[in-house]
Amino acid sequence: MVDVMGPDLISDLPQSIIESILVQLPIRDAVRTSILSSKWRYKWASITQLVFDDKCVPPFSNDREVVERSVVKFITRALFLHQGPIHKFQISNSMLQSCPEIDQWILFLSRNDIKVLVMELGEGEFFRIPSSLFNCRKLTRLELSRCELDPPHSFKGFVCLRSLNLHQVLISPDAVESLISRCPLLESLSLSYFDNLALTISAPNLKYLYLEGEFKDICLEDTPLLVEISIAMYMTDDIAEHFEQSSNCNFLKFLGGVPNLEKLVGLIYFTKYLSIGIDSVHLPIMYHNLETIELYQVNFEDTKEILVILRMITSSPNLKELHISGSSNIPIAADAPDLDFWEKGCLSDSALNKLKTVKLSEMGGWPHEIEFIKYLLCRSPVLETLSIIPCVFDMGNNLKMLIELVKCRRASSRGEVIFIHE
Amino acid sequence: MSETDLAVIKPEMMKPYVWLQTSDDSIQQVEQEIAMFCPLICQEIIQKGMGSSKNCAICLPQQVSPAMLSLILDYCRFHQVPGRSNKERKSYDEKFVRIDTERLCELTSAADSLQLKPLVDLTSRALARIIEGKTPEEIRDIFHLPDDLTEEEKLEPLRNITADPRIRLLNRLYAKKRKELKERERLKNVEVEEEHVDDRSVDDLLSFINGNDGDPKGVKTSKNKKKNRRKKEQQKNSSLKEASELNKKEVNGHDIRHQSSEAEIISETSYLHYAEDDAFTSKPEFDDGDIDDEIDPALKEKIDREVEDFARRLNSDWPERMQELLSSGQERKTVLFTADGFIRRHA
Repeated sequence: MVDVMGPDLISDLPQSIIESILVQLPIRDAVRTSILSSKWRYKWASITQLVFDDKCVPPFSNDREVVERSVVKFITRALFLHQGPIHKFQISNSMLQSCPEIDQWILFLSRNDIKVLVMELGEGEFFRIPSSLFNCRKLTRLELSRCELDPPHSFKGFVCLRSLNLHQVLISPDAVESLISRCPLLESLSLSYFDNLALTISAPNLKYLYLEGEFKDICLEDTPLLVEISIAMYMTDDIAEHFEQSSNCNFLKFLGGVPNLEKLVGLIYFTKYLSIGIDSVHLPIMYHNLETIELYQVNFEDTKEILVILRMITSSPNLKELHISGSSNIPIAADAPDLDFWEKGCLSDSALNKLKTVKLSEMGGWPHEIEFIKYLLCRSPVLETLSIIPCVFDMGNNLKMLIELVKCRRASSRGEVIFIHE
Repeated sequence: MSETDLAVIKPEMMKPYVWLQTSDDSIQQVEQEIAMFCPLICQEIIQKGMGSSKNCAICLPQQVSPAMLSLILDYCRFHQVPGRSNKERKSYDEKFVRIDTERLCELTSAADSLQLKPLVDLTSRALARIIEGKTPEEIRDIFHLPDDLTEEEKLEPLRNITADPRIRLLNRLYAKKRKELKERERLKNVEVEEEHVDDRSVDDLLSFINGNDGDPKGVKTSKNKKKNRRKKEQQKNSSLKEASELNKKEVNGHDIRHQSSEAEIISETSYLHYAEDDAFTSKPEFDDGDIDDEIDPALKEKIDREVEDFARRLNSDWPERMQELLSSGQERKTVLFTADGFIRRHA
């Protein structure tokens, strides 16, 4: 049938290229290539990546259960017709909730050298992950969303796992810790929406850490290779109480063992968490690789939180970028703030020799905020931009802020102070 | 400029070149640092010391024509400059793949032969974008694919059509027809395949079934009957699935004593075992396109009828399944094994 049309352009390309093409198609289109020609009949069946998203079965009905049945049939058939190893299996389908077929799929995958498993099921009942998952010896990346995970006692860990992402997963704190410590190659860890967790992380190869949730306590026990940290700590009454009563120096406990840190991002109550116990200890560690610090929701009324920022800045000689976000409140003329804090010799005179970009948002015009800006401007000889975004567009308040800023002495001749008022 | 200045400048101006030979046997000179961007060329230079002169020019794979080499070198020339931003690179890439499909396929092949993975990824993504969302006719048109699948092969429900009984019936009829067509081809083929399992009579099958007692799980059974099932599996992936679906329905609706969820899972698992065993063992089979029973048609008819009888006795509780049985031969065989699985568990 190779006639006037010309020679077949594509069917004889090596399987690796065909796989590369098919893997970049949505799964429906990939499966449909089976009716193109006799050579294409089973080309799709040996691709090593199967991704089932919301588009794999178009929602033909308003009844979720009917669509769910359809999705289940599609996935089961695809697995059934598939031949060869499956390295990546992803379900990101909001119609699909907990159903018994998923157990069988995971069992099937555990026998097919699965390396990357991503399960993001729909909102609803959490799916209980079957024990066959823990037999997937070759797993390098595991991402679970809205599931229940219960590792058996005999579980020795995933020896090849490099990336673990648990989002809204029901798992006991001991199980999480032991899971982390039993994956020796773990490089990237992301835990989100956990409740009331006191976590100790021991992962000698860990490079990227992302935590979000209600954490009572975080202790980085053995994480010397950490390069990037991003923490968002939510507050509950329990945790607030815990904070009151805590006598540790959290700064040391958290940041004491991460000399290779390059980027630190802290949100919500993170700065508050670090501030506990900070004035009791002098921090000896320098972070020579730390180039970016982002701290959000910092309470400029609390001098301890300001001390956290200052300690971080002065311990990072190569800091290039700083983002600080305040806590969106206009100052009410309360007691006179303790401006002596800034006079005290506890602040070193060291210059911030590499600091180029500073962004300050949610600035309410607190006296401490102004002092902080002054502090930065005096000590940053290579500063290029300092942007300030006020939290409220109250012209009166902003005017007061601007008047103070204009008075500031600047160490950098090239520095621009940009006040964003739109 | 003084003489010493010239002496200093000259070596810098003389960039090293390598000699490359393309598919049409023509040889060209290319700046070394650009050519080295291709892993294959890099390997040839470093490990084998080739390419330094016209005589020992590096022989490029035959997929690399002069035109393709020129395109690839453009790509390398752009990307090997370190100072470019990601945005610049992306925008160059977008423009780079705006070529006609034929050249795009050739380029993919050439890049692959030179092991230039970033370019292979780029071109295959472009090809995927071409394929995405188009109808089969359009795709065949673009890539000059022969439309050589028979109608019933196309109807194999690989897509997720909500089970239309007419299509399923059609499938079964076509599958039968297809087998007959293949039969005729087979008659020319002298080779004897190792599997003649289906020559057994129904009695044999029955005793085979009963003889395998003592297996608590359907799983083991499935392994023993691997050969049989393989045939069925290859031809009737779809009908097996339908059977499994029917199974599920029956199981759920039927009030059977030992019906635990485990049993259900085992039955499902046994199907998965089918898939796996068949997948691994039948791979070469698939590549040949040689999937057949090679049963003598007359004998087949006899078996069909006997199986039908047997199955009807067995399945007297399941009226729906009967409908299916009566309308096809192949389907029955599948059901037989299914039914067997159930007998076993409830023996």
